[in-house]
Amino acid sequence: METVPTVKKRLRPFQAKWQQFWSEPWFAIATIILAAAILIFIVAPVFAVLLKSFGIGTGQLTFDYYKEFFQASYYWEALKNSLLSAIITTVVVLFLSINIALYVTRTKNALSKSFKGIALLPLVAPPFIFSLSLMILFGRSGIVTDYVSDLFGGQFSIYGFWGVVVAQIIGYFPIGYMLIESTMRNSNADLEYAALDLGSNQWKTLGTVTLPLAKSGIIKAGLLVFVMALADFSNPLIIGGGEQFLASEAYLLVVGQHNLELAAVLGVFLILPSLIVFIFQTYFLKDSNVGTISGETGSQNVPLSKSVKAFVVTISSMFIAFILLMFIMVVLGAFVKIIGINNTFTLEHFNNETGWDSLSMSLYVSFISAILAAAIGILQGFLFARKPIPGKKLFEFLTLFGLAVPGTVMGIGYVLIFNGPPFFLTGTVMILVLNMTFRKIGVGMEAAISKMHQIDTSMEEASSDLGAGPYKTFWKVLVPLMVPPFVAGFIYAFMTAMVSISSVVFLISPDTNLVAIYILNLAEQAKVGLASAMSFIMIVIVLACLGLLKFVEKRTGIRI
Amino acid sequence: MKKSVLSFLILALSLVFVGCSGDDSGSGEAKETKGSIDVYTHNDSEEMQDFVKGLKEETGIEANVLRLSSGEGWSRMKSEAPDFGADMQWGMLHSIALKAEKEGFLEPYDSPTWEDVPDEFKDEDGKWYGWSYWFNLLAINTEILEEKGLDKPESWEDLLDPQYKGEIVLPDPGTSGTAYLFVSTIMQILGEEEGWEYFEKLDENVGQYAKSGDAPAQMTAQGEYAIGITWDQAVYNRIEEGYPLETVIPEEGVGYDLDVVWMFKDTENRALVEEAIDYIGSEGGMKKSAEHRSMVTKNGVKGNADDIEQYLIDYDAVWAEENRERIMKEWRERF
Repeated sequence: METVPTVKKRLRPFQAKWQQFWSEPWFAIATIILAAAILIFIVAPVFAVLLKSFGIGTGQLTFDYYKEFFQASYYWEALKNSLLSAIITTVVVLFLSINIALYVTRTKNALSKSFKGIALLPLVAPPFIFSLSLMILFGRSGIVTDYVSDLFGGQFSIYGFWGVVVAQIIGYFPIGYMLIESTMRNSNADLEYAALDLGSNQWKTLGTVTLPLAKSGIIKAGLLVFVMALADFSNPLIIGGGEQFLASEAYLLVVGQHNLELAAVLGVFLILPSLIVFIFQTYFLKDSNVGTISGETGSQNVPLSKSVKAFVVTISSMFIAFILLMFIMVVLGAFVKIIGINNTFTLEHFNNETGWDSLSMSLYVSFISAILAAAIGILQGFLFARKPIPGKKLFEFLTLFGLAVPGTVMGIGYVLIFNGPPFFLTGTVMILVLNMTFRKIGVGMEAAISKMHQIDTSMEEASSDLGAGPYKTFWKVLVPLMVPPFVAGFIYAFMTAMVSISSVVFLISPDTNLVAIYILNLAEQAKVGLASAMSFIMIVIVLACLGLLKFVEKRTGIRI
Repeated sequence: MKKSVLSFLILALSLVFVGCSGDDSGSGEAKETKGSIDVYTHNDSEEMQDFVKGLKEETGIEANVLRLSSGEGWSRMKSEAPDFGADMQWGMLHSIALKAEKEGFLEPYDSPTWEDVPDEFKDEDGKWYGWSYWFNLLAINTEILEEKGLDKPESWEDLLDPQYKGEIVLPDPGTSGTAYLFVSTIMQILGEEEGWEYFEKLDENVGQYAKSGDAPAQMTAQGEYAIGITWDQAVYNRIEEGYPLETVIPEEGVGYDLDVVWMFKDTENRALVEEAIDYIGSEGGMKKSAEHRSMVTKNGVKGNADDIEQYLIDYDAVWAEENRERIMKEWRERF
C-alpha cells in the first residue's frame, strides 16, 4: 500500500500521511466524523465510568468507593461468582459449539439441518427467558424435580449459582455457535485430508489440525460469550436466589440506591477481565490463519469417522433436545393459564397492550440501529481497509472494544454522560438507537474489512483507469460488493438489539419501553404466562424477519 | 444488483409497518385519543393494564406506563430531577410521596373529585392523593405445609421457628416497597434493636430474597416455598385463580401503606394529568381500583376485602420516610 509519490518522500512520514489523507476530502471528512462518533459514543462513556469510580465529577479524587468495595465481603463474592460463572459458561459453550458445529458442517441430512436451526433459536429469545423454563422444570417443586425426588428422595434446588450458569449456557450458546460454525465451515479441508493420508486418525486430526485451524474463530467466540455472560444481570436476578453477581449488583446499585459511584467501581471490575481477554486476543493471538478463509474454493469438509460421529451426535442431540425442551416450556407457558398448576388453554396472556406497544418500539429501535450499525460498520471497514488514515489501528481497536465492553458499563456510562448538557438525551429514542448502534458497529466493520481483503484492488484500479473518480468508484464498484457483509451485519445487529437488556435497561422511559425489558419486569414479578406470551410473539416476529431475509436471498441470489 | 437491494429495503420496511399496524389493532376500542401521558407506577402490571384501559375509556387519554418497583422508581426520580421522565406517578408508597414532596418534585393540583376523600388520605396542598391502601400479608401454600409436616404460622414471631428453614421467601427491601413496609413494620412493633435481631434470625429461615413484592406470592403459589411474605392483593388474586393458598394475618398486626398518585413538577401535559387525577378520584375510577384492591379511600366505595382495619398497626409513614436510607444501608451491610 506504500504509494507515496516520490516528490513527497522528503516530508516527514506523518505529514505525508496527513496530506494523502486529505487528498480525498469527502472520505477524510467521513473519517473524522466517524472518529468523533466513536470517541463520544464508545470511549467517552467508558471513561465516564472510570472517572466516576474515583469520585471525579462530584468532588475530588477519592479511593473511598474502592475501599468500600474491598471491605464488603459480598462484592468479593459477587466478583468471584461473576468470573467463575462466565468462565464455566464460556468453556461449556465452546465445547458444545464445537461438537454441534462438527456435526452440522460435516453431515448433510435433515437432522443436522434441523440441529443448526434449533441451535440458533435461543438467539431470538430474551436471554433470561430460559430461567423461567428452568424454574418450571427444576424449581423446588418443578415438574422434573418432583419426579426425581419421588424416585430418589431428597430435594434439589435450581436457584443459585448453578441455575445461573445453566441459564447462561443456553442463552449465550448461539453467539458462540454462530462464529465457530462459520469458521469450521470455511476451514481448509485439504490439510485434514493430508493429515489423514499420513496415517493420523480423526481424533488426532481434530486436536492437531481442525481445532488449531479454527483457533481464531473459537477464541473470538469465547471472548464474546465471556463478555456477555459477565454482563448478564437478568439471570442472576431471576434464578440467582439471592446470590450476588457483579452485573446485577451494579444494576441494583444504580436503580435501587442511585449509588452511581459504587456502581462505577463494580463496572471497572466488570470491564477489567473483558479488557484483558480482549487485548490478549488482539495482540497475542494474532491470526495464525494458514489460509483458512479460502472462500468456497476448498474441497468438501472431511466426513466424520464412526467413533467421532458417535460422540459428537450424542452430545449434540442431548443439548439440542434440552434447548427444545426449554422452548416448548415457553410456548406452553404462553398458551395455558398457569403452567404446571392449571393447564387449560387460554389466549388471555396475549391481551397485553403495554406489551404490544413495547414490542413495536423494540422493532422500530432495533431496525433503525441495525441499519445504522451495519452501514457505519461497512463504511468504516472500507475506509480502514483502503484509505491511509492516521491512527487507524487505534480506532479499529476502539471500535472492536465497543463489542467487548460489558453492556452494564456502557449503560451506566450513557447515563453519566447524556443526562445533562451538552447532550441531553435521557428518555429519548435517540439514546437507545445510539447505544445499540455503536455497540455493534464492530461486527459490520470486521465483516467489511475481511471482505475488502478478499477483493483485489485491481477492480478499483480498473474503475479509476476508466475515468471514474474515487467517489464514483466507491458507489459503483464497492458498495454493491458490500451487500453481503451489510446484510450479515444487519441481521446480527437486529437480533442482538431485539433481545439486548444489560445496557438499555438504564436508558428506557415510559414512552420508550422495550419489549425485552418489559418481559424481564414480568419475570421479576413471576408472571410466567405473560412473560412467556410476549417472548413467544417476539420469537415469532424475529424468526419471520429472518425467514423474509432468506426469501429475499433466494429471490435475488444475494448470498447472506 | 441495485434492484435487489431496493427490494430488500422495501420488504424490510413493510415488515416494520406490519409490526406497527399489528399492535394498533390490538388496542381494541377505537375511542378517539386526546393525547398521551407518561406514567411511572409501582403497581402490579396486570391491574395497571386494567386501570389504564379504564382511563382511556372514560377520558380518551392514553397512558404509557413504565413499571418500576418503589425503590427503583425513587432512585430514578432523584437522578432525573428536575427533568422527570414521566408526567405523573400512579401508585407509589406514601413514604416516598412525603420524600418527593420535601425535595420539591411534586406539582400541587386541587382536584374536585377528591373532595369527599378524607383529609388523612391526601395532601392539604393537593400535591399527592392516596387512592387505596394495602398491607403486608403472609401467603401460605397449604399443600406444601401438609407435605412437609409444617405448622401453620400465626405470627411474625412464629416465622423464626427453625422448622421453616429455607421455606420462606420475601422480597428484597432494596427494591421492593412491600419488603420495606414489612421491615419498617417489624421495626415499629419491636423497636429497632430487637428488629435487627429479628431479621438476623429470620434470615436463617429465608430461602430466597426476590426482587419484586409480587414474586413471593407467585413462588409460594407454585409451591416453590411454603411461606411468602407479600401484600394483600397478590395473595387474594392467586387464591381466586385457584392456587392452593391461604392467607395469614400475623397476630401482632400488619403495617399498611397508602398508595398515592401525583403530578410531577413542570409537566408539559398538565391539563391531561389533571384530568387523569380527576378520573382516579372519581366514583368510576375508584370503583375500578376497588376491583383490584382491598380498600380504597373514597367514602362509600368498598374494596374487595372485608373489614381488616382491626389488624392494622398504627403505622408511622413519616418515621418510615425519615429512616429509610439509614435502615436500607444497614440492611445492605447485614444481608
